[in-house]
Amino acid sequence: MTSTTAAPIITIAGLTKDFGETRALREVNLTVGKGEVVVLLGLSGSGKSTLLRHIDGLELPTAGDVRVLGQSVPSLRPKALRSLRGRVAMIFQQFELVPSLTVLENVLTGALSRVSGPRLGLAMWPKSLKRQALGHLDRVGLLHRAYNRADQLSGGQQQRVGIARALMQNPDVLLADEPVASLDPESSAVVMNLIRQIAAERRLTVVCSLHQVDLALGWGDRIVGLRHGAVVLDTPALGLTKAQVMEIYGRVSTPTTELTAIETELGSLAVDGAPALTGRSAS
Amino acid sequence: MTAATATAAAAEPALVRRPRISWNKVIASAVLVAMGAYAIWSLTQIDFSLYNFQRSLASLGRTIANSDPISFPSVPDLVYLVSLTLGVVIAGTVVAALISVPVAYLAAANTTPARWARVLGRGIGVVTRAVPDVILAMALGLMFTLGSTWAGVIAFGFHSIGMISKLFADAIEQIDEGPRTAIRATGGSKGQEFWSGVFPQVFPSWVATALHRFDINLRGSVILGFAGVGGLGYRMNIDFQRFPEGLGPALGIAIVIFLLCVVTEIISSAIRVMLLGAEPSRRTLGGALMRGLRRGPWRGQRKRAAAGTLTGSDLTVEKAMRRPWTGSRISSTGWACVGVLVVVAGFAMADLDPRQITWNYVWSTFMSFWPPSPGAYDVNTFITAIEQTLEMAFAAALLTFVFSLIFGSLAARNVAPNGWVRNSFRVLLVIFRGVPELVLAIVLIIITGLGPQAGVLALAFGGVGLLGKLIADSFEEVGSGPEDAVRAAGAGRLQVFTSATVPQGLPSLLGNTLYLLDTNIRSATVLGIVGAGGIGFYLTVSAGLTKTHPVVSAIIGIIIVMVLAVEGLASYLRHVFK
Repeated sequence: MTSTTAAPIITIAGLTKDFGETRALREVNLTVGKGEVVVLLGLSGSGKSTLLRHIDGLELPTAGDVRVLGQSVPSLRPKALRSLRGRVAMIFQQFELVPSLTVLENVLTGALSRVSGPRLGLAMWPKSLKRQALGHLDRVGLLHRAYNRADQLSGGQQQRVGIARALMQNPDVLLADEPVASLDPESSAVVMNLIRQIAAERRLTVVCSLHQVDLALGWGDRIVGLRHGAVVLDTPALGLTKAQVMEIYGRVSTPTTELTAIETELGSLAVDGAPALTGRSAS
Repeated sequence: MTAATATAAAAEPALVRRPRISWNKVIASAVLVAMGAYAIWSLTQIDFSLYNFQRSLASLGRTIANSDPISFPSVPDLVYLVSLTLGVVIAGTVVAALISVPVAYLAAANTTPARWARVLGRGIGVVTRAVPDVILAMALGLMFTLGSTWAGVIAFGFHSIGMISKLFADAIEQIDEGPRTAIRATGGSKGQEFWSGVFPQVFPSWVATALHRFDINLRGSVILGFAGVGGLGYRMNIDFQRFPEGLGPALGIAIVIFLLCVVTEIISSAIRVMLLGAEPSRRTLGGALMRGLRRGPWRGQRKRAAAGTLTGSDLTVEKAMRRPWTGSRISSTGWACVGVLVVVAGFAMADLDPRQITWNYVWSTFMSFWPPSPGAYDVNTFITAIEQTLEMAFAAALLTFVFSLIFGSLAARNVAPNGWVRNSFRVLLVIFRGVPELVLAIVLIIITGLGPQAGVLALAFGGVGLLGKLIADSFEEVGSGPEDAVRAAGAGRLQVFTSATVPQGLPSLLGNTLYLLDTNIRSATVLGIVGAGGIGFYLTVSAGLTKTHPVVSAIIGIIIVMVLAVEGLASYLRHVFK
């Protein structure tokens, strides 16, 4: 919706990442402007999570640079990295709430970069931050659950707590790593809408990884396709039809090696009467 | 497997070769066989002949005839002694648990700041475990007035770090890293990551570990009495010195200690079951207690706790600022208060009076241990003594293994023929565990006379309680699928046991037996104090005098090497037979 302004919020240049023998990211280049909502589309293992983790400084690149909010993330000293992470919020596929803490305490952990020293128990948090956290819980519709243990909530509710924790950071950038992959369709819709609304309200820059085309289509301003750790698609979402995206997604998401593997397997089973898979038509 | 290769295999079965056996497996098997052979040989070295037995019975009869009847101290006296003992054990365990937090932080692979820090953390664990608490209490005894409790608290506080920090570190290594990463992603510092992301996850298991160690220390408190630490053990020691008349009163104290151990074991295992969240389906005494508690006033509260949400359609942020007193909040606050109260009461009951410290001797006592030296003994003396200790440990481990396999199997739900048998053996194992090794050793020394026989029997007896329980638990934890499959194939009870239960439980059986051997070596050392012989004898003789303290450090060095060797061997074997 918002067009890219002069100073980009995220600039990724020639980013390569190896995990031992495996190359997770190859020469990734990506620029995200202020207020843009970008969807990373790709199969699991295509490098979406790794890319997001680099933006928050949770991984160090093998080569290349990641600049976020004008700072080069890999070269930041611990203190500066902490304050940068404070401005970049992250939502996880598995929610990653601390199960034995209350919902409210989990939301409050979003403010850890602003306080110093450890926080054990609600009593150690200032009233003003507690009030803020409850406000964010109200925003995601879970105020009445504030004092429940996090693991007593359903998946959709836990992810909304994750969003409230992100809001608690008062972030400039929101990263979401497959936020609805572990949720049922109904909760998925609630969570995706919530993220979109909040992004619009606060003019957040959003990078969200997804693997469902349906969700990605109407949701993002821009779609970036990843395959084997390389960017193979980068296009505005506006005006794309579902058929077009499916066609692109098909190319993005079905690696030929995987197809051939399936074909061989099915071919060998054809003896038992299973039909052999021919080309891409079966998908 | 594809259809093509399956057909090929069916047509030419001779092509299927036995896979090559790895060298590691060959070596590890040889080591196991050698250890087993050494254990058998050790057992034959210990003289359990019939003649000895008859003579022992005769001496037992004479002793009993000469002793006063079994008697108990007066009630106020008894309350004081029990509270003193509990206080020393609680205070020492709490001190060790607190020190173990930073040690575990260094030792856990996922929190350690650097490689050297991990080595340091693990090293502290090994060294503290290798120094027997009773030897420490004896050696430090000079710093305090006789019958004071300082030496006991320090000895427990030091020695327990070994086990507690290891289990604390294991718990840290088993956490879910996700929430911790999320804390890091919000910009939390290392410390905040630990206290907000790691600590809430490990806390229940940490408390359970501390309780477990409390049980062990309570049993160990008897022996500290022989090192001059006040409490039940000290009183028992004093009675024993009036041998044989004092035997009756001493046995009275022994009965009190035994009951105390059984009661605390039941309570602490009930709390552990609750903390670790396992539904107490096991038919143990603790489980039954827990079920009773839950059936009582707790049940209603638990239901409300699950629905402990804020209500009201006009709920606002301001209203939500006040946390309601729900059932779960009441019970968790209640438990926290009880915990604090127990710790405070523990320190109060431990009767730690600074006036009992003789400050003049503190520094000189510390310095007297350096440098280590064999003193007046020659190296051969030590070698013979180490051999004797190892023989005791191995022989006892063998006896324990055989009896634990029988008792433990019969105490496992899926092996025992019926519930009655299982429950009887579970109770039997609790009783075995309840008897402190030292009390046993003393009783046995009266029967068999001084020497390693009493030591071996005492170790084996106590070991059955521990290993039997571990075996029963590990058998109950094996997957029931394979058992059902074998049973469905028409196998009998014993066949199900040998074909499905034992193969699945084998890795943990091996691990637990090696762990037992490890503790046996340390316990065998300690038993030297009551005359079982071995390296512990020289340790005991040397610990009482400042002049011979260098010998103590030398022997402790030897024990550290022995324990390290066994631990290394155990982790190698566990790794190979995983």
